[in-house]
Amino acid sequence: MSTGPPTRVANPPGGAGRPRLAERLRALARRRRVRTTGAPVILLFLGLAGTGWDFEGVPAVGAEMTVSQAKRPASREAARLAAERQRLTAALRRKVPRGSWIVIDQTHNRLRLMQGEDPVLEAPCSAGSGMVLKEGSGGRVWTFDTPRGRFEVLSKAERPVWRKPDWAFVEEGEPIPKDPGDRIEYGSLGEYALYFGNGYMIHGTLYERLLGRPVSHGCIRLGKAPLREVFRQAPLGTPVFIY
Amino acid sequence: MRARMLMFCIAATVALGAIAAPAPPGSSQPDDPDTARIRREVEGLRSEHSLAAGKGFYLRLDAGRQSLTLMLQGVSLDEYAAHGLEWGIPEVVFVDRRPAADWDAAAFSKGRLEPERERDHLHFLAPPPATGASPDSGAALPSPPPPPKSAEESYSVPSPYRIAFAERVSLEVRARGEGGRNRSVFRRLADAVSLRLSDLGTAIGLGATERVRLRVTLDAEDAASLYRSLPPDVGLVVVGLPAR
Repeated sequence: MSTGPPTRVANPPGGAGRPRLAERLRALARRRRVRTTGAPVILLFLGLAGTGWDFEGVPAVGAEMTVSQAKRPASREAARLAAERQRLTAALRRKVPRGSWIVIDQTHNRLRLMQGEDPVLEAPCSAGSGMVLKEGSGGRVWTFDTPRGRFEVLSKAERPVWRKPDWAFVEEGEPIPKDPGDRIEYGSLGEYALYFGNGYMIHGTLYERLLGRPVSHGCIRLGKAPLREVFRQAPLGTPVFIY
Repeated sequence: MRARMLMFCIAATVALGAIAAPAPPGSSQPDDPDTARIRREVEGLRSEHSLAAGKGFYLRLDAGRQSLTLMLQGVSLDEYAAHGLEWGIPEVVFVDRRPAADWDAAAFSKGRLEPERERDHLHFLAPPPATGASPDSGAALPSPPPPPKSAEESYSVPSPYRIAFAERVSLEVRARGEGGRNRSVFRRLADAVSLRLSDLGTAIGLGATERVRLRVTLDAEDAASLYRSLPPDVGLVVVGLPAR
């Protein structure tokens, strides 16, 4: 594209007066100033008028779909596909646990106990605070997050004792004891604990007023009454889903 | 001459074989509408099955029931009712860039929020271990960290926001009504401008190149809840979407 100097436009042949509109526009387009500003103007035009997204609404189907699915398949291929559809649907349905299972929403600090497809209990809990603890001298770092994913209840305990890990002493500015017996603490985990792996558990708390807030070190804290119910209804192997 | 005859015979046999052989399933012969519909459903179910067999979280968008469900291993963790569902394709100068007809049969992966959710971890330096002094000896201990904020206090929620998947498909979540967003007017304005610019960029092929965008409208509370709790690298499966 040439960016030469602007050129003057001659009057149209035979026309003694003003140039015609088309010629005036052509002359205008040859000017450098118009060329440099033309691209953004075109882009703006495209942006406002000619570029974007073409959306189409999707109607809810519901009952109609059920009726059409119930029809007899038209061909052998359709029958084969219908059988596979049935098999896949059944396989997906089997993934829902039949007995008790637990769902924990760690963002909103809610615990739900399910029995098959029915919720039987919902209660506020406290999940990991997300705080990062840095040890002044040793340089160790702990992040108090609750893990996400699928777990299962590996063991259960009544009147659990807490074997305090290093971070519990570091956080309180206490020296880490050499005697393992000095790590044992009674009562702080409440009446029951359900372990679901890697040191994480669902347990009680001394600070029930903080339930509903993310204040734990990664475990799930639960109030006294719901904890008792969860302990009673969740046998070993109960799936625990945390998101 | 003999070699030429032999070559001719082989070529003729191959050609005849190609004509006479039955078409493999799913090849050139078009399905009748009923078979095509069941085939789409089966492909969708296969995708869902593959996601359910993995260890990652995924969203299940059911176009027929108009619902969005957060799932893990085939189990529904949280379900949101949708008040509207649309799907769109980018167009430039009124020319659309239509994807393949079976684009929605696949499972989509590595969904990430746009704008990104900011999580501010509170950092806390442990006090030096006390040596021999009793806790109430008057030594100056650093004050304990403040109690962490709730999710509603921590995260403000843009509307709309998107979950962009690696396969160039995105899910736009719009909120119906107000409430639970905790977002300043200035940030909302910035969101709107940035979304419009991003749309223009996508449409003219700059930056992110989405090929399909699904748009779902949720109650404001639900939209906020999903934004705050969406796990990272979430997948997506779309079921019941009619052919366009």
